[in-house]
Amino acid sequence: MSAKKAIGLLFFCLLFVSTPGNSFARDAAEKESTALNQKVQTSRLSGINLWIAETYNSERTLYAITVTIVMAALGTSLAFLTDLVLKALGLEVSRISHRE
Amino acid sequence: MNLFNIHLPVAGIEFSAVLLVLIGFCVGVLGGFFGVGGGWMITPALNIFGFHMAFAIGTPLANIFGQSIGAVRKHHRMGNIDWKLGLISIITSVLGVEIGSRVIIALEKAGDVGVIVRWCYIFLLSILGVYMLYDYFVVHPRLMKLAEEEAANAVSPGVTGAARISDRLHKITIPPMISFPASGIEGVSLWIILLVFLLTGFLSGFMGVGGGFIILPVLVYLIGLPTTIAVGTSLVTVLFTAAYGCFTYALKGRVELVAAFIMLVGASIGAQIGATAVKYIKGYGIRLLFAIMIILAGFSVLTEQFYKATGKPLFQTLAGIVLMGTALAMSVIIIGRLKLESQKEKSVSGK
Repeated sequence: MSAKKAIGLLFFCLLFVSTPGNSFARDAAEKESTALNQKVQTSRLSGINLWIAETYNSERTLYAITVTIVMAALGTSLAFLTDLVLKALGLEVSRISHRE
Repeated sequence: MNLFNIHLPVAGIEFSAVLLVLIGFCVGVLGGFFGVGGGWMITPALNIFGFHMAFAIGTPLANIFGQSIGAVRKHHRMGNIDWKLGLISIITSVLGVEIGSRVIIALEKAGDVGVIVRWCYIFLLSILGVYMLYDYFVVHPRLMKLAEEEAANAVSPGVTGAARISDRLHKITIPPMISFPASGIEGVSLWIILLVFLLTGFLSGFMGVGGGFIILPVLVYLIGLPTTIAVGTSLVTVLFTAAYGCFTYALKGRVELVAAFIMLVGASIGAQIGATAVKYIKGYGIRLLFAIMIILAGFSVLTEQFYKATGKPLFQTLAGIVLMGTALAMSVIIIGRLKLESQKEKSVSGK
């Protein structure tokens, strides 16, 4: 994908995120979040779980950014790896004819 | 099973990692193959197996976002995405979602809207499913026969009785006209496109769903896209919706990161397999499987409605079994067909 296309996509992504049309999701999240304002118990946690819980408790924005980046990175990496495996199995894809 | 139980720090529960991978895998296969998000399946599945409803709504969106990236990339490589149409659909759908959500809020003030939404869900899924089956079993064979008989004025194999609805819509020439070369659409009124996506957005907002299962048939039957391009283009909408949903629900504390991470391991693999299967299965095969899937999903909502009306847990269990069973069975069928068709192709190219 060209840089121009990528910038275009990013623009639409930002437009989508900032539009009032998503107020339904926001409203729903707002209602639910009131029930989720309790803090996660961290006393028994350690390592990465402790870090996740502490971030969740104190830095919700950082938690949201982390979730989004982790999902994007893992999704891309696993897609790439699975693609390699499928290619090795002879299931390579290229442009197809659109038959009905 | 306890051996694979892991602690989910945010949700504060023990959950089977194997089950998470399995749920993710099934949803990934369906998402990559049909161009849907699959939230309609993950949310009840997680809830039935012990997730708090708040996390059962937000966590799937994070998973769908991750799995859609790879699936969109693969569909792009296969030429299955009409980016122009996809981006128009995203912008217009947003307005529709807003209208739909405002209608819901207005209805909420009047009383319980859950029943109305569920019945709308059942009605829409049934109508779409039955229509697609009718198209597959009645209209398509009839037109194929006609095409053989009238070789001189042959009907294009891609044109079904249902697709003729799109032909009629294409004849409305209110300017400005717009073309979608990637989908083979030479000219259609922009107003038709905007109205159609406004409608799908409205239904998404009204029913509180991502809308992949509405967008696919709309793209095929109303806009006239080839099925495979409809799948890829629908996935673009799902990707953007899920990206936004992932962030905002995480911000509200409704995403269980560890669960989403583990589910994504299965989902990413499943989505690649599902997207690859599109190459080997004809458009009409995809439509048939989709029709069966949404009819069963509609049946599941119906049993859920019985549960709400009667309070008998049996109906809720049945709804969960139907949903999970449908997803599992569809995944097996898709993988089976992928294996079979790819072997056929190899044997043909080997000769």
